[in-house]
Amino acid sequence: MNAAQFVLDVLSLGGAYALMALGLVIVYGILRLVNFAYGELIMVGGYTMFLVSGSGLPWLVMAGCGLTMAIVAGIATDYLAFRPVREKSVTAVLITSFAFSTLLQNAALLFISPRPRAVPLPELFSRTVEFAGVITPARNLITIAVAVIMLGLFSWLMRSTALGIAMRAAATNFRMARMMGIPANLIISAAFAISGLLAGTVAILWIGRIGTVVPGIGLEPLLIAFIATVIGGMRSLSGAVVGGFLLALIDTTLNYTLPQDLLKFRDAFTFSLVILILLWRPEGIVRGPASGQRT
Amino acid sequence: MRSRFLAVFASVAALTLGGGGSALGDTLTFGAPLCLTGDQAPLDTPGYRGAQVAIKALNDRGGLLGQQVEMVAIDGKTDPVTVGNAAVELIDDGADFILAPCDFDFGGPASRAAQEAGLVGLSLCASDPLYSSWSLGDKQFTLSMWNTTMGATAAEYAYNERGWRNAYVVTDQFIAYTVSLSKYFVEHFKALGGNILAEDTYNNGDNDFSAQLARLQALDEKPDVIFISSYGQDIGFIIRSLREVGYDAPVLGGDSYDDPAMIQSLGPLGNDIYFVTHTFMSADAHPEMEQFIGLFEDMFDEPPDTSFVATGWDAVMLLAQAAEIAGTTDGAAVAKALEENVFHLLTGDLTYRNAAEGHAPDKAAVLVEVKGAQTHFLGWRTPSNVPPP
Repeated sequence: MNAAQFVLDVLSLGGAYALMALGLVIVYGILRLVNFAYGELIMVGGYTMFLVSGSGLPWLVMAGCGLTMAIVAGIATDYLAFRPVREKSVTAVLITSFAFSTLLQNAALLFISPRPRAVPLPELFSRTVEFAGVITPARNLITIAVAVIMLGLFSWLMRSTALGIAMRAAATNFRMARMMGIPANLIISAAFAISGLLAGTVAILWIGRIGTVVPGIGLEPLLIAFIATVIGGMRSLSGAVVGGFLLALIDTTLNYTLPQDLLKFRDAFTFSLVILILLWRPEGIVRGPASGQRT
Repeated sequence: MRSRFLAVFASVAALTLGGGGSALGDTLTFGAPLCLTGDQAPLDTPGYRGAQVAIKALNDRGGLLGQQVEMVAIDGKTDPVTVGNAAVELIDDGADFILAPCDFDFGGPASRAAQEAGLVGLSLCASDPLYSSWSLGDKQFTLSMWNTTMGATAAEYAYNERGWRNAYVVTDQFIAYTVSLSKYFVEHFKALGGNILAEDTYNNGDNDFSAQLARLQALDEKPDVIFISSYGQDIGFIIRSLREVGYDAPVLGGDSYDDPAMIQSLGPLGNDIYFVTHTFMSADAHPEMEQFIGLFEDMFDEPPDTSFVATGWDAVMLLAQAAEIAGTTDGAAVAKALEENVFHLLTGDLTYRNAAEGHAPDKAAVLVEVKGAQTHFLGWRTPSNVPPP
């Protein structure tokens, strides 16, 4: 086993997982609710790229379209699924987020096709480079680079801008933050927009691995994001990142080391480890700020 | 929880897509508890559309046994229980035949319901040998060749026609189909004298092939041929992962490769890939193919996006021919007609063994080559000494 190869595999998978998890936890942090339509934001990004693929635009513009539509879909989730019922009951919001997810998936199924559709990829995505003695696809390095840039940008946003500080305040104690004059709707919409941006980025990187998009494409990333945030710590943004990388480390290690007969049960091993981690730290690895009531 | 919400939407979908279930009685009815939503939809929807074309064609020709035909669909929602219930409902409403989903897990419940009611049930494209009269009953069939044929055809092409001796095999653990296809390929390839260099496991949806690559790279020898049995989008991903790091040996697989989007997405890497499937969308495969494609385009205003549409057409036409021979829609008589005759279908010539032999379909397979991200018809193949299920 080549150590450099292993590290590269973990980092590139972990980068993608961390971005997925961050997009989920940013909304959870403020609303204390898992947005089950998160996977469909990734789907929207993918289908947008499919729909503009015939236009002859440069790939970066197409990727930009995908990103924009994922952000729009993120904000739409807030307006359509969360805002109307937010103050009524947790169950209602949970159900509307499921409903919105189903609505988007079935819209793709009915209006486009249940069959996969090819998404344009730049040539760069299938080129290989030699890095530290390992031949690896360039997109693995791109994934790592994009993850580093996005995480850096995100941490700057949360620490150094008024919006970021307001969002962190809202995540710690929403009611108090509102009393201090922070506009609730703006903060929540911003969280959904950022969630959409991250989902769009994931769409480009994740679908960049696969090459095609189907209505159910968001399920796997949603599941990964959910597990990563649970082990990382549901209340902490850095926890989501830690969780993403840890999950990638667990998966890759098991993939490398399990014998063939056991490899098909890999998920069982992964989840056993997740249970152990949760027994050890029930609140996740990184503890977030002590928080008040759900809003 | 998820599936319950899907249910609400799916019933809307069924109403829009479906044949509009109405007046049964004077017409002969094909009950179609197919999965039009969910994971199974990419396989069942094309067959459903092909079947719609066939129903219209039958009526244009004057119907069946002097009666008009219709198809009534209820969405099985990729849920075995829902498929079973849908089949029971269709049978209660007077269905004469049951068209079952494309997989043993999802199609089985429909066939069991048909068997209980004494009707013939036919899966559009389930290829696992579990889909047999042994497990489902003496009136149940699948239109598809079994994986025994599919795997053996691939093995014979590799060993006999191309002289490839060392195979590397990747098996996706997703469903019975992916697992048994590899099994029969390996069995037959070894029986021919081939050598399996290594076998590896993949989990559907992982989109991470790095550990498998590391193991492959650790081998002393490079394979002559790479056999990948996977499903859906993951096939393209695995092929890309292998090609990118310099494994340019030919890739071989089954009918799940029959997906234009996957092949298109491979782009410049879409070369030297071969797969065994049901048919090919050109006159090379069958003289009546152009006519079928024409009818399909008339109905849907677009060309078929996969050759799986032909399985739906064939399923309806096969049952219609068997009913014509039997002179009735009675389950036992139609089953007997299916067992005793040769049928010339878009998906190849077909004979069934008798119920004691599992209704094993003896069927030819099509070999397709992918070159320049385009599919090319290589011809029909019938493997000798198909491995036992």
